[in-house]
Amino acid sequence: MKKSQIKIKVNGEWHELTVPNKKTLLEVIREDLNLTGTKKLCNTGECGSCTVLMDGMAVNSCIVLAVDANGKEITTIESLSQIGKLHPIQEEFVARGAIQCGFCTPGMILSAKALLDQNPNPTELEVKKAISGNFCRCTGYVRIVNAILSAAERLRGENDERI
Amino acid sequence: MENFEYFEPKTLKEAVHLLVKYKQGARLLAGGTDLMNEMKGGYVKPKCLINLKKIKGLDKISYSKKEGLSIGSLVTWTNILSSKPIYQYFPILREAASLIGCPQIRNVGTIGGNICHASPSADSAPALMIYEAQCVIAGPGRERIIPIEEIFAGVQKISLKKGEILTRFRLPTPDTGSKGCYLKFSPRRAMDLPIVGVAVLVRTSDGTFQDVKITLGAVAPTPIRARRAESFLCGKPVNDESIRKAAGEAVMESKPITDVRASRDYRLGLVNELTYRAITLSISKNFTLE
Repeated sequence: MKKSQIKIKVNGEWHELTVPNKKTLLEVIREDLNLTGTKKLCNTGECGSCTVLMDGMAVNSCIVLAVDANGKEITTIESLSQIGKLHPIQEEFVARGAIQCGFCTPGMILSAKALLDQNPNPTELEVKKAISGNFCRCTGYVRIVNAILSAAERLRGENDERI
Repeated sequence: MENFEYFEPKTLKEAVHLLVKYKQGARLLAGGTDLMNEMKGGYVKPKCLINLKKIKGLDKISYSKKEGLSIGSLVTWTNILSSKPIYQYFPILREAASLIGCPQIRNVGTIGGNICHASPSADSAPALMIYEAQCVIAGPGRERIIPIEEIFAGVQKISLKKGEILTRFRLPTPDTGSKGCYLKFSPRRAMDLPIVGVAVLVRTSDGTFQDVKITLGAVAPTPIRARRAESFLCGKPVNDESIRKAAGEAVMESKPITDVRASRDYRLGLVNELTYRAITLSISKNFTLE
C-alpha cells in the first residue's frame, strides 16, 4: 500500500484524507484543501515560505510528510483573520509597510505568531531569531521586525489604539 | 520523489524486524529534515520508510548525577533547548543546538538523525564528542553500546550494521569545574553549516591545564577529537603561548578539503584561530555559556 489514511485538524476543522505516502503536508494543504495562502518556493526547507504551525510550533510544511502529520493540529495563514478582521500581527505588517511582494509574508507572520504565543514580550534579537528561517528577498527585515515588535505590544494590551 | 511503503512501528522490535525485512530498500524516518531533501533530489530512493516517532521513549531526556544524561535519538533541538539538565550540566550541547538551522528546523530535526546523517559538519557531533557520549544501539541481536566516535565511518557513512537502530545517547556528567564552549564559523548566523566548528572542554587548577578535550567539525571525513593538541596542553601552564601551540597541534591533526564553502587552507587557518579562541574563552574568568 503506497497510500495512507490520515486525519488532520486544519484551522480548527478535522479532515480525513487518503494520500500517497510521498505527499508532503504542504501539497495536501495547497492541493487537497485548496488553502493556497501557504506558499511553495524552495521546496527544500530553506526559505520558510511554507511555514505553518503544527501543534503550535512553526515547521516547514514542504519537508514534513502528510502521513507524518497524521493526528496533528495545523494552523495556516487563512485562520488568522476572524470575521473579516485581520489579526494584530497582520495589521501591523500592513500598517508598517512590512510587505513588498508578499510571498514570504504568510510564513513570516506564522513564525511571528509562534514566537508571540510562547513569548509575548520578545526582544528585538528574539524576533530576529524567530524569523531566521524565513527569507525575505525584498530586503524588508527592518520593517518586519518592527511590525512584530509593535504587534507584540498590542497583543499585550499596551499602546493599543485600534482594538 | 518516488512513492514508497510507509510504516509506523510501535516498538523497537517491530522496527528492527521491518529493517531486516526490507534490507537496503528501507530508510528510517526521524525528523526528516535531511532525508526529505535526499529523497526529493533522488539521491535516496527508499522502497519503504519506517517512521520511528510512534516508538515510546525515543524522544525522552532523563538525567541523574550518577547515571548522567540520557537523550533519546528522536529528541528535537527544541527539546534540547528547553531541557534543564542540559542547560545546567551540558551547556555546550545546548549551544550547538541553538546554532542549528532555524526554529522550523529545530522543531522537527532530531539529534539522532543529525548523527546518523553523518555529515562531517554536523553541529551536534563536536558537542556530543566533547562530553564523551556513548551510542546505545538496538538491533536483531543484543543491545550494544559504542563511543560516539565509532559511529562515524566516513562522509555520510555510519558503522551501524544491518537491522540496527540508534536509540539514545548516554553522556556522563562532566567533572566539576570543567568549562568550555562551541564556536561555529559560518557566513550566516542561521540556516548555515559550519565552515569549521570547534568545541573545547577544559579544567584548570593551580595555573595548569588538568583536563583538555578538543573536537573539530568539518575538517576531516568525520568529526574528530584533536588528541595530540589535547595531550600537548595537559599539564602545561595556563598562558597564551601554550594555547597557541595547542592550536597549532590541532591544525596538524586536521585534514580538511576544499569545497563550495571554503578552501582547505582557509579551514586550516580557522582551526588555528578558533581553537585558540575557544580555549581562551573557556578559561576566561567571567565566562559562562548562555
